[in-house]
Amino acid sequence: MRRTVPAAFLALSLGLTAACGGGDSGAKADSSTKGPITIWLSNNKEELAWGNAMVEAWNGQHADQKITAQEIPAGKSSEEVIGAAITAGNAPCLIFNTAPAAVPQFQKQGGLVALDDFDGAKGYLEQRTGSAAEQYRSPDGKYYQMPWKANPVMIVYNKAVMQKAGVDPENPPLSTYAEFLDTSRKIKSSGAAQAAIYPSPASQFFQSWFDFYPLFIAETGGKQLVEDGKAQFSSAEGQRVADFWKTLYAEGLVPKEQYNGDAFGEGKSAMAIVGPWAIPVYGDKIKWGLKPIPTSAGKPAAEIKTFSDAKNVAMYSSCQNRGTAWEVLKFATSQEQDGALLKATGQMPLRANLTATYPDFFTEKPAYRDFADQAGRTVEVSNVPNSITIWQTFRDAYSESVIFGKRSVADAFGDAAKKVDGLAGQR
Amino acid sequence: MTAHLTRGAHPRPGRRPVTALIGRHPVGLALIAPYAAFLVLVFAYPFGFAVWMSFHDYFFAAPGAQVERPFVGLENYRTVLGDPGVRKAFGNILVFLLINVPLTAVLSLTLAVALNQAIRGRTFLRVAYYVPYVTASVAVVGVWLFLFSSDGLVNTVLGPLAPDPSWLVNETLAMPLIAVFVAWKQLGFFILLYLAALQNVPKELYESAAVDGASAWQRFRSVTVPAVRPATTLVVIVATITGANLFTEPYLLTGGGGPNGASTSPVLLMYQRGIEQGNPDVAAAIGVLLVVGVVSVSMINRRLLERS
Amino acid sequence: MSTRTLGAAGTAPTVTPTPVARRPGTLGRVLRAAALIAFSLAFLFPFYYMFIGSLQAEPDTSPAGAFPTDGLTLDNYREINTEINLLRSLVNSGIFTGGVILGTVVFGLLAGYALAQLSFRGRGALFSLVLLVQVVPFQLLLIPLYVLIVRGYGLADSYLGMILPFAINTTAVFIFRQFFLQLPADLFAAARVDGASELRILWSVALPLVRPALLTVVLLTFIGPWNEFLWPFLITKQTDMQPLAVSLANYLSNVAARAANPYGAVLAGACVLAAPAVALFVAFQKHFTSNNIGSGVKG
Repeated sequence: MRRTVPAAFLALSLGLTAACGGGDSGAKADSSTKGPITIWLSNNKEELAWGNAMVEAWNGQHADQKITAQEIPAGKSSEEVIGAAITAGNAPCLIFNTAPAAVPQFQKQGGLVALDDFDGAKGYLEQRTGSAAEQYRSPDGKYYQMPWKANPVMIVYNKAVMQKAGVDPENPPLSTYAEFLDTSRKIKSSGAAQAAIYPSPASQFFQSWFDFYPLFIAETGGKQLVEDGKAQFSSAEGQRVADFWKTLYAEGLVPKEQYNGDAFGEGKSAMAIVGPWAIPVYGDKIKWGLKPIPTSAGKPAAEIKTFSDAKNVAMYSSCQNRGTAWEVLKFATSQEQDGALLKATGQMPLRANLTATYPDFFTEKPAYRDFADQAGRTVEVSNVPNSITIWQTFRDAYSESVIFGKRSVADAFGDAAKKVDGLAGQR
Repeated sequence: MTAHLTRGAHPRPGRRPVTALIGRHPVGLALIAPYAAFLVLVFAYPFGFAVWMSFHDYFFAAPGAQVERPFVGLENYRTVLGDPGVRKAFGNILVFLLINVPLTAVLSLTLAVALNQAIRGRTFLRVAYYVPYVTASVAVVGVWLFLFSSDGLVNTVLGPLAPDPSWLVNETLAMPLIAVFVAWKQLGFFILLYLAALQNVPKELYESAAVDGASAWQRFRSVTVPAVRPATTLVVIVATITGANLFTEPYLLTGGGGPNGASTSPVLLMYQRGIEQGNPDVAAAIGVLLVVGVVSVSMINRRLLERS
Repeated sequence: MSTRTLGAAGTAPTVTPTPVARRPGTLGRVLRAAALIAFSLAFLFPFYYMFIGSLQAEPDTSPAGAFPTDGLTLDNYREINTEINLLRSLVNSGIFTGGVILGTVVFGLLAGYALAQLSFRGRGALFSLVLLVQVVPFQLLLIPLYVLIVRGYGLADSYLGMILPFAINTTAVFIFRQFFLQLPADLFAAARVDGASELRILWSVALPLVRPALLTVVLLTFIGPWNEFLWPFLITKQTDMQPLAVSLANYLSNVAARAANPYGAVLAGACVLAAPAVALFVAFQKHFTSNNIGSGVKG
């Protein structure tokens, strides 16, 4: 070992020279340069079909500014792929799969282009998305992402299971916490399903988006996890939501063990928290119904807000032909392309007045209307520094106190809130 | 250290001054040059960089971005060592190694010896032991969940003896179970190592032992075990190293190091801190500590096992 | 080391002689076979379960589901076949894995031989380095390595970029080193006295004797690149260059929420990926026969 270390450092200096010798991308790009660009699409089949059609439509009209589309993973590894590409300077111009939670980090890395640099961009974006656009703004007041599409989450339930449990399958009582718990107990005690609802108990940072966070948003009337640099989850509302889940776990209505498969799809659980993607998945297999997210006092459905689970489009700083990229971004989020996206994927374009803009689609497919309606009342993850670390900190506290009951919620959330305040305050 | 390592291979004859300077077979340097070149070209930069990172306030940035990366001395190490989650992860991996490594060595040697004998269906048996090793983790994890989930096969068989809480959500049992799982999955690999080593054990040794009337157990102990000792060193070191790099199993099997952090490994933390959360400096500090730990353990193992 | 092996022979006669049959009796052999088979079933079960699961139309995770009586179908495989260009992916996997194995064997053989049988200055430091390469977690190197390969060497979207970080598997160096250590040094000394060059000794004396090690290295290093997902995906976004593991992972992430039996699709994908590896093993394992180097020592 003694000799290894100097050898490694000698090699380091060689390696550094090699690594730095490669090109100087990022220089002299300006917001009007035109030319061919590369974009990345999520490799999800429906989105790919939409994306390729969009690219073809664009390329047909712009022979000198062609788009090359490539695929990246739809799931978790996409952030790893993007993060590595930013560092290496070979990210494409646009990525149609940018997670809002990852934006603060990409921005800190210097990987993103502020869209405000383009003429009329801010107006275009705010007009298209409406007041919901505000939550996609970064702390410096600029937009580094174009709000694109949401998958607002709701409660889906299995009608057959409800019937078996002796609950009205057309209108199961699920709007207050008391009703929800009561219905859950019936499901479990009747043996209609093994679990009332089965969110993943795993510890990955994003799991809270599909258990705690939607209920927290609904309960607080639309608060984010972190607002004004302060953690919000240790409030009375946060405590109520945590207690609700804690009861479900403690009474065995929700399993603590992860399930390798689709618990709802296989009838293992009576309910699930899902976005509109669920419609084609469960369409014919299961007779299902939709309910809004429950609140402790049972707010009216029209007031309930939920988590948006959005994926956005961002422009990356390695992009040279930014003028073209901006035009493509507008083209891909035009009313026509948004309509095509809605039709192809069932995901909700982040557009004001969605149902009024595409009346034919929602008449033809009424199943999507509830989600479209809900899409008008969504809340995003907070756009703050250390976003992922904050979510992991929260998840660890939640796992310890709510899922496994090792500590009181007040203690665990209190400690986590202190840590989160510190993280959110960093620049 | 060099002196010690040199002793490893040869009974040392009296040295002359020149050979003391370059060694008896300087041609060895030529043979090893391609490997060394690879190290310099591919490995040295990322590794040296990681070490450098662990002493700076560092994050990955786009080329051309203006960012400050001040030298912070041991700050990252202080952060890491002061974090109870990190200390727990190192404790977890120690539990893992203490169970996994001996289990792997004993089982793989025993099974390799049995499989080395002329028995009917040897091909079938060898394939059987090799199969878990080649099977993708996603699928194997599904099988393991099928066996060890609350209402899985194992608990069904155990009935009232089943642990509560069940295996994978039990803070005491989760890590030992992962250790057994990994031993099972990797066993095919280590059996192969031993099988190959057994081919080189001179038959005469067994014959003379048999002439002396040694029992099967005595032949195993006094012929096989010493003859495959280099392979045992290899098995123990490789099992320690791959074990210390444990990542996939806690990530997939216990949902990211659950229950409640009981199966978090240092590499899983590195992945969370470095790649997910964008703090590669902290992750690098964890990595450096892990590397130092594993190299020391391996060196001790080697010293113990290669001692004649 | 060699003396140690022979030393073991020297100690053999000191074993207290016990009047035990030289061969295990019939009963012993039956017991041993039974134990081996029982053990092997424990190892085969997951594979069996994976295979059965891949044939099921509806997932059944209950204990009874492992022994289905009906409802078996090839649909999961049919779907993979229509969604993935299997031939293209297999060729890519072959190039990637083949390149890795070639590098591993050539470099590993040279380095392993030098580390085991030759004494030269710096050997100890090099051994430590080899150990170090193995010890450092890939997650630590991932991004700097990516930047180096893509920016430093400009190897994005190339097979070489895929192969390079895997081209040396340290385990292979260890395996070769340990096997060369097991060979008696007298063998090489004799060849050197005859004036043979080290490369010649390696090629015609050492190599034939470590054939089992060679096979082991191929079989053991094969599976790493074969199952690797993240690295090839980082290196190339072009679907026509992606190996099977990447195509399957893409397919699975698409199909996961859609297929009639998503879990079955995952298992079918795993079977497709594992099949070539198992076939390779079956083809190679019969060469694991003894060299009987004892005679070489005598001669």
